[in-house]
Amino acid sequence: MRTDLRALGALALGFFLPLSLSFAQFQPALPGYRFGFPRDYFNHPDYQTEWWYYTGNLQSLDGHKFGFELTFFRQGVSRDPKQNSAWGLRDIYFAHFALSDLTGKKFFHTERTNRAGPGIAGVSLSLQKIWNGNWSVAWADGEERLTAFADSFALSLALHSQKPPVIHGDNGVSQKSAGPGRGSHYFSETRLSSSGSLTIENRKYSVTGLAWMDHEFFTHQLEANQMGWDWFSIQLDDHTELMLFQIRRKDGSIDPFSAGTFVDAQGRAIHLRASDFQLSPAQDASAAETWSSPVTHARYPVRWQIHVARLNLTLLVTTPLPSQELATRSSFVPSYWEGAILLQGKKNSAAVAGSGYLEMTGYDRPFSVGEF
Amino acid sequence: MSGRLKLFWRLMVKPLGREPVRTTLTIAAVALGVAVVLAMDLAGDAATGSFHSSLETLSGQQDFEITAAGGVPEEIVGKLAELPYDWRITPRIEGFALVADSKRALPLVGLDLIGVAGRIPLPLTKPEALDKIFDANQSSFEDLAKQDSVWVGQSLNKTCGDALELLVNDRALTFTVRGVYPDDAGTGSAILMDMAVAQAALGITGRVDRIFIRIPRGATNSLDEWQRRAQQVLPQGVQLRAAGASTDENRKMLAAFRWNLRLLSYIALIVGAFLIYNTISVSVVRRRAEIGIARAFGASRLQVLLAFLLEAAVIGGAGALLGVPLGRFLATSAVKLMGNTVNALYLSSRPGEITLDPTSAFLAFFTGLFVTLVSAWSPAREAATSAPVEAMARGRVEHSVRVNKTLALGGAAALALLAAAMSRLPPVGGKPAFGYCAALLLVAASVIAIPAFTDAIMRISSRIFSRLLGVEVLLASRSLAGSLRRTSTLVAALSTAVAMMTAVGIMVGSFRQTVVLWMASELPADLYLRPAGSPATDQHPTISLGFSDQLAKLPGVLAIQRLRGYEISYEGKPATLASVELDDSHIEHSSDFLSGSSAESVLAELREKNAVIVSEPFSYKHGVRRRDIIQLALGESRATFRVADVYYDYASERGMILMDRNVLLNYLPDPAPSNIAVFISPGANPANVRAEIERAADRASARILVFANSDLRMQAVQIFDRTFAITYALEAIAVFVAIMGVAGALLALVIDRRRELGLLRYLGASSGQLRKMILAEAGLLGLLSNIAGLCLGIFLSLILIFVINKQSFGWTIRLHWPIAVILSGTSLIWLATVLAGWYPARIAVRLNPVEVIHED
Repeated sequence: MRTDLRALGALALGFFLPLSLSFAQFQPALPGYRFGFPRDYFNHPDYQTEWWYYTGNLQSLDGHKFGFELTFFRQGVSRDPKQNSAWGLRDIYFAHFALSDLTGKKFFHTERTNRAGPGIAGVSLSLQKIWNGNWSVAWADGEERLTAFADSFALSLALHSQKPPVIHGDNGVSQKSAGPGRGSHYFSETRLSSSGSLTIENRKYSVTGLAWMDHEFFTHQLEANQMGWDWFSIQLDDHTELMLFQIRRKDGSIDPFSAGTFVDAQGRAIHLRASDFQLSPAQDASAAETWSSPVTHARYPVRWQIHVARLNLTLLVTTPLPSQELATRSSFVPSYWEGAILLQGKKNSAAVAGSGYLEMTGYDRPFSVGEF
Repeated sequence: MSGRLKLFWRLMVKPLGREPVRTTLTIAAVALGVAVVLAMDLAGDAATGSFHSSLETLSGQQDFEITAAGGVPEEIVGKLAELPYDWRITPRIEGFALVADSKRALPLVGLDLIGVAGRIPLPLTKPEALDKIFDANQSSFEDLAKQDSVWVGQSLNKTCGDALELLVNDRALTFTVRGVYPDDAGTGSAILMDMAVAQAALGITGRVDRIFIRIPRGATNSLDEWQRRAQQVLPQGVQLRAAGASTDENRKMLAAFRWNLRLLSYIALIVGAFLIYNTISVSVVRRRAEIGIARAFGASRLQVLLAFLLEAAVIGGAGALLGVPLGRFLATSAVKLMGNTVNALYLSSRPGEITLDPTSAFLAFFTGLFVTLVSAWSPAREAATSAPVEAMARGRVEHSVRVNKTLALGGAAALALLAAAMSRLPPVGGKPAFGYCAALLLVAASVIAIPAFTDAIMRISSRIFSRLLGVEVLLASRSLAGSLRRTSTLVAALSTAVAMMTAVGIMVGSFRQTVVLWMASELPADLYLRPAGSPATDQHPTISLGFSDQLAKLPGVLAIQRLRGYEISYEGKPATLASVELDDSHIEHSSDFLSGSSAESVLAELREKNAVIVSEPFSYKHGVRRRDIIQLALGESRATFRVADVYYDYASERGMILMDRNVLLNYLPDPAPSNIAVFISPGANPANVRAEIERAADRASARILVFANSDLRMQAVQIFDRTFAITYALEAIAVFVAIMGVAGALLALVIDRRRELGLLRYLGASSGQLRKMILAEAGLLGLLSNIAGLCLGIFLSLILIFVINKQSFGWTIRLHWPIAVILSGTSLIWLATVLAGWYPARIAVRLNPVEVIHED
């Protein structure tokens, strides 16, 4: 799962709605939710916030390495049945698209915001599609097809899930803080074999690789004492995957609701609690440990140590491209670092390696409701 | 070289200083002529170039625009957004609102502000203006979700949080100002709303008014390729054009109007040219002796020619130089007058900034100078070509005028015939070029004929008037006939101005009468209703259907007739498409058709078939005649219609296409009417019915305006008069210039004849007699000019009505004689001419007889 901190970060638009109103119009994520597919790949308009995150590591035939991120957000604004115009603000849809040229050491990213309008953006079970303008994910023939176009870069991928969806948390809900409803419904596709093409600055590459999909929906937003979070999606070469996140509080401590999930080679999920793992920036004086953003001036730790005692797993996290910050142009959406990572370490004393994605938020400024 | 300069100085510049009043008058005439030309040019740009300027500002730099009659189906926005190109799609709602407190009509623009805030797409050329809107200090994103949020230009003097009451269609709506943006002192002002809010305010569902496409910068594909890509998701009836195409259409529509006004503005300059000609002629005649001496002492012909041309250039240059700032000043008033016309006849526009660009200024200056030199050419050449001996003798020119009288009359007749032939020719590129040539030829014919005419009248007047009015008038007649050349020029100048006034007066008077008669047959209902929101020729605010249904059931209402208008583009030109209810048996139709068919038979065809009737200007513009088939893009489809007939229409110069309400509803299903005509039951009290309607409107919170039939006609006539105010102003200036010329010329006459006048005094003439003589000369000049001008004007009016108007606008105007107006106009001019003689008369009276006799 991703914490609802992330919801606030990315879905800052939610701030303007009084929480009471949100609760009146939207329902909280409660235990006992039964996932059903393909229905749950799509829209859950009864929940205020929902997102679909696609990230992955790709490689061309000649060894050129890339990372990508394509995310779709839906933020419920109003469920007033009197709105009859297509332009009514029922939801705001926004989307982020980034390509990391890991070999060429260049990072490209862009964003867009829309309302559903007359077919401008949306999520549709009947069309088997999630889209925001000409950025879309479409389900067809057992594939998820990703397409996105930006001014100087584009992506077109077909994804095949090698494992069934993994449901995070307990009894269908990923609890975020104490109290009923303070959680989300969260599942992932942790191993998506990918093939397709991408274009960067008029050059087209045929690529293959591994992608990861996160889908989460909920209504309850964040607690006020949190600063930001660090989130990892890891695909190891022993056909296992790992998702971990920790919430950093403003006082520097780690929130006990931090959690994770281990997925074994057969696709079985093991829920990890905060006490099961440790995430810490690498204390390695020799290498560059941090990267400072020239835009937001945030300092991001770009080398991490992961230790999961329960799995007897130790990993060193590095990135081939430190400058993978999505510095947003608009003041409504906070900036964050989201980038491709490489992993090396030991599992039960055997060497293990892998790739994945890391997301870090709250390094430029803490965010809280209404401060924009 | 110094010798030449000296010659020039002696011969030309010094005399100018000796007659400051006359020189000033001539310079002023040129200045006014140049000023009027420049003012019309500048005002034309400002009044017509600025329409929709705020809409243009808000659209930013775009490549294509998509429009459709009745609006573009909004799903197209989604379809375009999904195509795999990195283009920007900007949908827009366009309407008008009336600000309740200031009654200012402003464009109401709905934009997708969510997409804007996400910076995709960015619809402004001046993004900083929109940044301001979302400035954290002004308003926040949350305001977008509110249904009462508007953003306004600074010129509205509102601040964030202020309430803003707007009249939109037939509703009074209250909004809250969420942000203020810089709007260039009002020219770029619009009420900005989010799409959803704008649609709700204007009562639009499922449609947007325009979709802009901006293709990626640096894209290598051709524009045609992009057009093809967009076209694939567009239904048939939807138009894709280069962005700004509709603005260009509007500009084109205004081109003929501007062309006519511009030509009209040259009248003052032409009158000024006569005066220059006169001034230089006088100089030549007066300095004949000096020229002879200069030539005898070795000055070449070229030197003499150049000397006189230089004199003209000094006068013309000074006048033109003064004319430029004066023109800029006059443009301010001209813009207002012109704006009225544009609004009444074409489209809603708000006058923009007047910008005096160097090109216009130089053009006006050199036009003034050029006209001056051309007018001075003939007298200067004559001075240069006369042999020294001849030059020192007197009388040759006057003699030659007499000798060539028959020839001149023959020439005039030939020119008039040529003019008649030209008036039969078709327009060139939509402009009545030959019509104008015919008018010019007629003026030329009259100029050639005027010496003979003057001579003849003076002979008669010296016989008749002298007996009736005394010896002073005899002397005046003889004096005018004696200096025939000078007199003729003056008469030519003044009569041209009078002729123009007469011609335009007859045309406007006929037009007015035609409109008044037309309204009597076209406005049969007792009451007319329209929404209180901003009305204009190209805007069709609507009345809610519910209220119109209630209306029909009110006591005393016999029947109602609903009219709905749309702006469309027909074959690259703007046109108005309207539908009207034809199926109520209570309503008697009395429209007037070109074919002469009865209204009933034509309307029966409209009810039964896919048929339309088109207005006369539409028929003329597009060459569409009765029984033709036309194709209209309506909603998503293209449909063909038969033209049942062409009807007389004077309401607008935009072409009109009219069809049955039920037929149009098949294509454009929005049933809200733009206007409602109410027929009162026989025996019902109109005042009571009206009060009943107003009460019903109150109950339904419908803001409507009710006009009694007579009010509406009066309003129409007022609009008509306002429309032609600019032509009156132009004529007045031309007449003013001509009268100034008369004053100047009489002054010259007095100064030239001071010996003669002195002699008269010496022989016992009283100062009263002298005054009477000079005033009589002025009066005779005025009389001559008025008679000549009236004759010429009547012929010119025929060309104006049947050639120039018809070819420019397509209206059939029936000839009427506004005799009272013309007579009072000419009397005023005559009076002014007599008054113009007052100052020269005073000078003449003050002359010391002893001094002037001994002067030589």
